Amino acid sequence: MATTKQPVWDLPVRLFHWLLAALILFSWWSVKNHHTDWHMWSGFGIVTLLIFRLLWGFVGSSTARFSSFVRGPRAIGDYWRGRWAGIGHNPLGALSVIALLGVVAVQAGLGMISEDEDGLYLGPLAGLVSTDTSDKARDLHELWFNVILGLIALHLIAILFYRIRGKKLTLPMITGRADLDPGTEPMRRGKWWVALICLGVAFGFTRWLVAGAPPFSP
Amino acid sequence: MRLIGVAAIGAALLLVSCGRSKSELANNTQGKTATSGAVTPPNNMALLATAPPKDQALKITHDRHEAMEGLGKAMKNLHRELESGKPDINVVRAQTATMAAAAAKIPGMFPAGTGPDVGRTRAKPEIWAKKDLFIQKSKDYLAAAQAIDAAAKAGDLNKVMALHENVDKACKACHDPFRSPEH
Repeated sequence: MATTKQPVWDLPVRLFHWLLAALILFSWWSVKNHHTDWHMWSGFGIVTLLIFRLLWGFVGSSTARFSSFVRGPRAIGDYWRGRWAGIGHNPLGALSVIALLGVVAVQAGLGMISEDEDGLYLGPLAGLVSTDTSDKARDLHELWFNVILGLIALHLIAILFYRIRGKKLTLPMITGRADLDPGTEPMRRGKWWVALICLGVAFGFTRWLVAGAPPFSP
Repeated sequence: MRLIGVAAIGAALLLVSCGRSKSELANNTQGKTATSGAVTPPNNMALLATAPPKDQALKITHDRHEAMEGLGKAMKNLHRELESGKPDINVVRAQTATMAAAAAKIPGMFPAGTGPDVGRTRAKPEIWAKKDLFIQKSKDYLAAAQAIDAAAKAGDLNKVMALHENVDKACKACHDPFRSPEH
């Protein structure tokens, strides 16, 4: 069948994906090697990415929007039976996207209210909870990483599974383009300046969180 | 190309698990070294000379854990108080007094034969292998804790704030080389 290379992932989605992967790896490495300060900054970077992705999921390119890929059980069933045609996340993969974003967000939230065991480092929002809660949050933060690892493993296994079945997923996440059947509805690109606004809001909101979420009163 | 990508992430993930097993392996080897270290003849360095019997050793590691946890709690409370925006000097004083008192006891809390080869402890065998360095680090921490305690007793909050980082650094400087990760 004749296929053509068409855009499927915009630059913001691809940057988000690879930066998130890199920062998760760096977060793990830095905390294992006693660089708690780097670990915290890596976490703030992840918070920025998550906020950006959330916003871009509403105002970004068509394949980035949650409304285009988060579907109900019926769509997932149809996909399972091979009755799905489209670009971007398929209805089953969408579950993986939501789960990954969700578990990373929980992890970031736990980190924000954690403190280290010696009282050397306080998460920016740790002041909003008690010492005991911060300590429990740290324990959970450590345990929760296993949940993240599990989902990443599932993610990689799924990519391998698709690869064996002849569908390439990694290259499009790098180049942004994939072979599409003729007649497939193409991606509608988001505006670059909207992406910049989302990024600005994400930076601003993260800064406010890092400052300990002070009240806005004068 | 896509295979390279998959392989890269796979390798990264493998690194995660390898890193873990490596450190566990390292800990085990250290544990074994310590076992042989514990039977070496007693010496009269700053650390207690003869190895105590097992039940006594377990009590020492337990009490030590409690003492260090109490010290950690004071460190946490101090940090919170100083970051609260309007620190209460009395609260600060109570923490620094606890810290200075606990710090003075550290060198005596690690007699030979109370390492990871005897019971569950996060004390690394390096404490006994590099005894002099350990003693030096614990003295550095004591000096930092006493200095901040003196400032707190004098009611000088600005000085407490200025000295706080030294205390943290001294704590970390000893924990990084001499304490195992949490169980």
